[in-house]
Amino acid sequence: MKAGRRRNLSEWLVTLPSLLWLLLLFLVPTVLVFAITFKPATPYGGIGDGWTLATLRTLGNPNYPAIIWRTVWLSVVATTLCILLATPMGYYMARVSPARRRLVLLLVILPFWTSFLVRIFAWKVLLHPEGMLKHALTFLGLIAPETSLLYNAYAVLLVMIYTELPFAILPIYAASEKFDFRLIEAAKDLGATSFFAFRKIFLPGIRVGLLTAFLMVFIPSLGSYVIPDIVGGPTSEMLGNKIAQRTFVDRNLPHAAGLSALLTVAVLIPMVAITALRRKESPKDALIEEGV
Amino acid sequence: MTKKILAALALAAAVAALAGCAEQKPVLHVYTWSDYIKPELVAQFERENNCKVVVDTYASNEEMYAKFKAGATGYDLLFPSSYMVKIMHDQGMLQKLNLDLIPNRRNVDPDYMKLAFDVDMDHSVPYTVTITCLGYLGSKVSDFKPTWAMLDREDLKDRMTMLNDHREVIGVALKYLGYSLNTLDDRELAEAKDVVLRWKKNLAKFENEQYKNGLASGEFLLVHGYSGDLMLVQAENDDIQIAVPEEGSQINFDDMVIPVGAPQPELAHKMINFILEPQSAAELTEFIYFLCPNLPSYELLAEETRADPILFPPADVVAKLETLADLGENNAKYTKLWDEIKAGD
Repeated sequence: MKAGRRRNLSEWLVTLPSLLWLLLLFLVPTVLVFAITFKPATPYGGIGDGWTLATLRTLGNPNYPAIIWRTVWLSVVATTLCILLATPMGYYMARVSPARRRLVLLLVILPFWTSFLVRIFAWKVLLHPEGMLKHALTFLGLIAPETSLLYNAYAVLLVMIYTELPFAILPIYAASEKFDFRLIEAAKDLGATSFFAFRKIFLPGIRVGLLTAFLMVFIPSLGSYVIPDIVGGPTSEMLGNKIAQRTFVDRNLPHAAGLSALLTVAVLIPMVAITALRRKESPKDALIEEGV
Repeated sequence: MTKKILAALALAAAVAALAGCAEQKPVLHVYTWSDYIKPELVAQFERENNCKVVVDTYASNEEMYAKFKAGATGYDLLFPSSYMVKIMHDQGMLQKLNLDLIPNRRNVDPDYMKLAFDVDMDHSVPYTVTITCLGYLGSKVSDFKPTWAMLDREDLKDRMTMLNDHREVIGVALKYLGYSLNTLDDRELAEAKDVVLRWKKNLAKFENEQYKNGLASGEFLLVHGYSGDLMLVQAENDDIQIAVPEEGSQINFDDMVIPVGAPQPELAHKMINFILEPQSAAELTEFIYFLCPNLPSYELLAEETRADPILFPPADVVAKLETLADLGENNAKYTKLWDEIKAGD
């Protein structure tokens, strides 16, 4: 009994720094954002006294659904394509020789050595209307000379996938590395085709990696701001850009907070759903596996 | 051993004391736009006043304002645009200027002073004026005409930008239609919205920062932007041409103001007076390529600068310029319109 209590205490102490961190830098600001949603705005960009539901009503703004829909479809497509690209990559990395694996891992991580912003600007150079890629594609007759590679939703999608791909590869690789590949051999011995074994044995085996990859890509995608701002055009605005506009241009913090709260709720839904799913499937392992 | 430690400590204390001495020079904290002041002039001011000047920069009025609203202090001199000066003044965020400390205020060009909000320089002194213009690549845009109707040109589709600013963009459409860019008339605003939606189909994007480099690199062929910005990139690409459209445009003042609570108000007044010296103003005009409206400075400018039709537009163009007024609560009208424009196809 006593020993148990001591263990409890030391567990608490170990958790305390991260708990405080999350409390101060995540929970408190989030609660504030939700609270500001219910405050009135002053014409000079301040937060007024008292409480109001006015902001909540503005979320019914007829111009929002288009932006929300765009944010969701871009995020869903980016996440799906990232996972589709990352799964064979993770499989490959788990199967190759350690020397090559280290090399590939290095290549996956290498882009992080350059600033995120610099890499987005590099895409502007690559897709430049007077750039080599544009000229090559035009020369090959694949696109018309007046087609713009930049400043549309597809450019945003491309750069989103480029930026977020490593976040899908890493958890899938981590899960694949732990996967017991003898199971696939066993399946083949029992008559399964390679593709069938991949689908029925490998994919369920790295389920946790796939779910983590989903969260790691989908959540930042929903909150995209810089990418649509730089490579997006007049019709590729996402929710993050609207929040920035409400804060800086319209000087209406409650409206910005209302949209942020909406985004937070949108992010929480897949997280809660996936956590619940995992708990239901393997109540005991869920916590351990989350550590992947 | 102990002695050695003591000696080391004494040395450290001495170094610290010396460093302290150096820091006792008064420090002036300037908060301004990037590339908006000539470093040599700052150095000269530091020498003449035995002080140190720290220059911090912002990219938009709103960014600066948001920082102050969030409780930023310690800045002595700011360079906001007039509409932001009004917003800050209305809320008592700016100091009343002591005009006795600014004898050079008489140098400010009266023709431009007429267009300013704060005609008595109660709390602000004009630093520069800029006109919103069209910039374009001479060799790529065939038969250019100085009119906002250029934004309707289908052959420039996806290679044009407009500023990402509701007042600027809707203002251009209003000017194009012959209305005031501060109108509150719903019918006029609705007409302007239709015009912007039509233009939007031809735009690569709404852009405040990258349009200059985009034009210089040939990414964009025609841009709606600030004269000073455009003239700055003209130096990189001499194919860039600038024009003030004949329907008239928006003229903007960036003012010098001292926020309430500035730690060095006296030094800030000195800096304002220093900038209003004809010699400083001429150097600034040449360096940042925004016009410092300083009458005696004009004759110190290079002949080429003096002949520039964008820095010194003809009188009939000046007559059609308008200043963006802050609309207070009515700003919501423009915000709503902008939301509709952004969401529309």
